[in-house]
Amino acid sequence: MIRVLDPTNEMKAAGIAAAARPASLAGKTVGFISNGKEGTKAYFAHVERLLRSELGVREVVWRTKSNYSAPADRHIVDEISRWHAVVTGVGD
Amino acid sequence: MHAPLKPALSSKVYDVGDFSAAQEFFHANGWTDGLPVVPPTETAVQACLDWALMPGDQLIGIEPVRAQPITAEKLAVNAVMAGCLPMHFPVVATAWSAMLQDEFLLHGTTSSTGGCAVLVILNGPIRREIGADGTFNALANSDRATACIGRAIRLALINLMDVRPGGIDRTTLGHPGKYSYCIAEDEEDTSWQPLAQMRGIPQHTSAVTVMAAMAPRQIMNEWTTDPREILETFAAEMRANQRHYSIYGGNYAIVIPKQLREHIQNAGWTKRDIAEFIFERARIKRAEWGDVGKGAVVRDRGESVYTALDSPDALLVVAAGGPAGGFGAIIPPWMGHKTRAVTAAIGACVDCEPPK
Repeated sequence: MIRVLDPTNEMKAAGIAAAARPASLAGKTVGFISNGKEGTKAYFAHVERLLRSELGVREVVWRTKSNYSAPADRHIVDEISRWHAVVTGVGD
Repeated sequence: MHAPLKPALSSKVYDVGDFSAAQEFFHANGWTDGLPVVPPTETAVQACLDWALMPGDQLIGIEPVRAQPITAEKLAVNAVMAGCLPMHFPVVATAWSAMLQDEFLLHGTTSSTGGCAVLVILNGPIRREIGADGTFNALANSDRATACIGRAIRLALINLMDVRPGGIDRTTLGHPGKYSYCIAEDEEDTSWQPLAQMRGIPQHTSAVTVMAAMAPRQIMNEWTTDPREILETFAAEMRANQRHYSIYGGNYAIVIPKQLREHIQNAGWTKRDIAEFIFERARIKRAEWGDVGKGAVVRDRGESVYTALDSPDALLVVAAGGPAGGFGAIIPPWMGHKTRAVTAAIGACVDCEPPK
């Protein structure tokens, strides 16, 4: 018998609660936080078309991170509270 | 009634039948790099902590993006799994404290599709104490110490930061350095200043430098003794990396083994001279992207010049490698200056500023 120790991080970081989900996006403002990669341009343009035409979104705000591998810049994060929903976390 | 001499380790424990059962248990939980691991028993983990004079709950640092705390005990568990001896553990702990500095951008470098590894470069007396060898096969399986230390860095990323392929690790290709990527500088066989000293660590102090690094690209030039011609080959490989991988400047490492090193040293060149030469020569125009199939992103900036190094200081010159062979290597950065190499003293407080 061998007694071994757990190698994983048992001290998990404090999480944060997700914002309330909007029941509808009609008439709402949606923000896009792009990582700035080439492939995001056409992707977000298509998502914007869908949001406007199929879900009635009123305004779409585009923002791009200054470093695609780092968290969003402070001034972008500060804007999020003015939006009803945000799309981020896309890959290449 | 006596209080215990040491607080017990806090990790959850599991009882497994034998060595083979331990392997299957760890692999089944996704806790390995695919190779067998040394079962991390409390005795082995405690020995690492005792050697480093660290209590298990000592906070090595907090990962800046996901706010994950990294403790000495958990690093020691992973170091034991990697095959580390207790005397290797201070290197692992110091490397991690360096990786957790903001400028290293640990989350970005370990999650990126770009797929770099953490290159660990050892300097100072600890190399000799632990048997880290900077000569034959320096960038590969040169010795037990560098093999195990490099592996411990990766296992801790997997288990403490969830940097598993397809999890946080979104790497497209990666490279073999992601198993282990640790080298020692051959300080005994060079007249050059050790890397750590070039980066502000006092003489005779052991130190570790971490860099988010792509795979080494080997060069060969055994047909000249002129430092300019030798270094032109290194610079050309850096220009090739700028053309084929990333044009942006950052920390590059160059590894210069004895044969080429002696020509450069005999001509009186220092590491600073090398860095200044490379800084001038390792640069391309954006228009060169058009030669390698990337014309679509040249746009109207074809004449813009991009240097591989932001400044000569960004070049990490390392004396290492076997005694014969007109070879060398450049080690490119993961992605320009989005990450910075970090150097930290081992078991010493330089300027007595605790790590952030």
